[in-house]
Amino acid sequence: MIQYSKRHGDGMQIDIHNLSFAYGHKSVINGLSLTLNSGDYLIVKGKNGSGKSTFIKCLLGINPVKNGMIFFDHQDINNFKDWTNFGYVSQKFEDFNYEFPITVNELLSVSSLKKTKQSDRLKLLDQMGILDLINQNINNLSGGQLQRVFIVKAMINSPKLLILDEPTASIDRLNTEFFYRAINLLNQQGITIILITHTDAFEELLYSHVLTMKSDTTFTFLTKEKCDLSEVNL
Amino acid sequence: MFLSFFTDLFQQDFMLRALTAGILLGILAPLIGSIVVIRRLSFIADTLGHFSLVGIAVSLYLSTFGISIFFEKPIYLGLLFSVIGGLLIELFRRSYKNYKEISMVIVISLGAALSAIFFSLSKKTGSLYNYLFGSILTVTDYYVVLILVTAIVVGILFALFGKQIIAVSFEETNAKFLGVNVNIFQIIFMIMLSIVVSVLLESAGVLLISSMMIIPVAAGMKVGWSYKSTLISSVIFSELSVFFGLWMAYSLTIPSGAAIVSVNVIILLIVAIIKRISVKRQTAKQNK
Repeated sequence: MIQYSKRHGDGMQIDIHNLSFAYGHKSVINGLSLTLNSGDYLIVKGKNGSGKSTFIKCLLGINPVKNGMIFFDHQDINNFKDWTNFGYVSQKFEDFNYEFPITVNELLSVSSLKKTKQSDRLKLLDQMGILDLINQNINNLSGGQLQRVFIVKAMINSPKLLILDEPTASIDRLNTEFFYRAINLLNQQGITIILITHTDAFEELLYSHVLTMKSDTTFTFLTKEKCDLSEVNL
Repeated sequence: MFLSFFTDLFQQDFMLRALTAGILLGILAPLIGSIVVIRRLSFIADTLGHFSLVGIAVSLYLSTFGISIFFEKPIYLGLLFSVIGGLLIELFRRSYKNYKEISMVIVISLGAALSAIFFSLSKKTGSLYNYLFGSILTVTDYYVVLILVTAIVVGILFALFGKQIIAVSFEETNAKFLGVNVNIFQIIFMIMLSIVVSVLLESAGVLLISSMMIIPVAAGMKVGWSYKSTLISSVIFSELSVFFGLWMAYSLTIPSGAAIVSVNVIILLIVAIIKRISVKRQTAKQNK
């Protein structure tokens, strides 16, 4: 496996204190605490219904945080303003309105902030191996190609935190490996990464922490060194 | 027949007004329509149109008591009600997040009911026909200026915020990460749409508004390979419909709104058939 030297300092620091969340009377997250430093790489794993998506929705501010606290770079989530520092790729791109024609270049152009240059977009497309798709209608792309486009879209505004919700769910093994390597590379640039997955096949990933969530609201949060995968496998 | 249409087009003031209004609406309707289609709100123009009609009916009702508001122009109260209708839809949409179309049914029903009541009370049901089906051939100079102002305002808004409008329309969860407040975005878009719908009402009529906004875009989607090419094709189809629709209305003395929409549908059918044939040919070529 290639070993990269990690660059710290460009990522987001995340502090979660005693976070609890319930849908009505059904508790999904109970007393979750963890700290991620700039440039850390967290894998969130667990079966369906273990609260992974609920956790992400709390981080994205979609689920209001009432019990417990979340801080991004020492700012409370409830007063947090710097959401442009987030890059987010949702599960199976379910929130995207398909069918209307739009090219990769157009999609990336409208998704860019003022500070983002065309050269940055081209560089990222090249890094993801999809530079030749720039003028393609996104409706004609395969699942794997689309996945890479969405990663580029999440990355174009140079976020400090990249959240990926089961990003390999709809792509094949070859694309998954390519995708994992690309994420490793982004992490080497110093970006904090949170990757949600329900598979155990992450030997290619250069993660630093693992959060394992279970449906009975218990969880384990371990650094890579302490994490014996055979123990936390579900 | 075509020649006399052309001669009249530039000699008769009413024809020139109709053409100017038509050309402006031909750009405005698919421009807004494309966003409406992406956001899967195709039914919304009809809904707002029905609510706008309440404003017109109320305005006519008030005029029976000698009360005139907004310079005796029912379109302004129509515009106000269209905005109210838009805000009501947003309100109901938030109560039925997974069944957003329910909100439109509630507002459209309320709009139809209130319009019927106030038209009946005003005893001016005769004018209802014009508001339902529109008449671009009878528009006034005042109306043409109103469309022009609307087109300029929408054009400026698109020039300033077009990128964000398109990005958020494709993916609403994106808004936050682009620094866009999604609630404010939705309200501004709804107000913009309400204004366009009220302005379209006089020429296209309540029942045909959404056709002018949506059908050219539906045809554009068949031929477009990018957002830009889709929008340009939609505008071309829309303008062709306006021109040939006016010609049909003039030659056959049929309602102009209905003629424009009929041409719109004919273009859509032709485009869909050509597209199907070309896809089949391409597939056959690849299989050889």
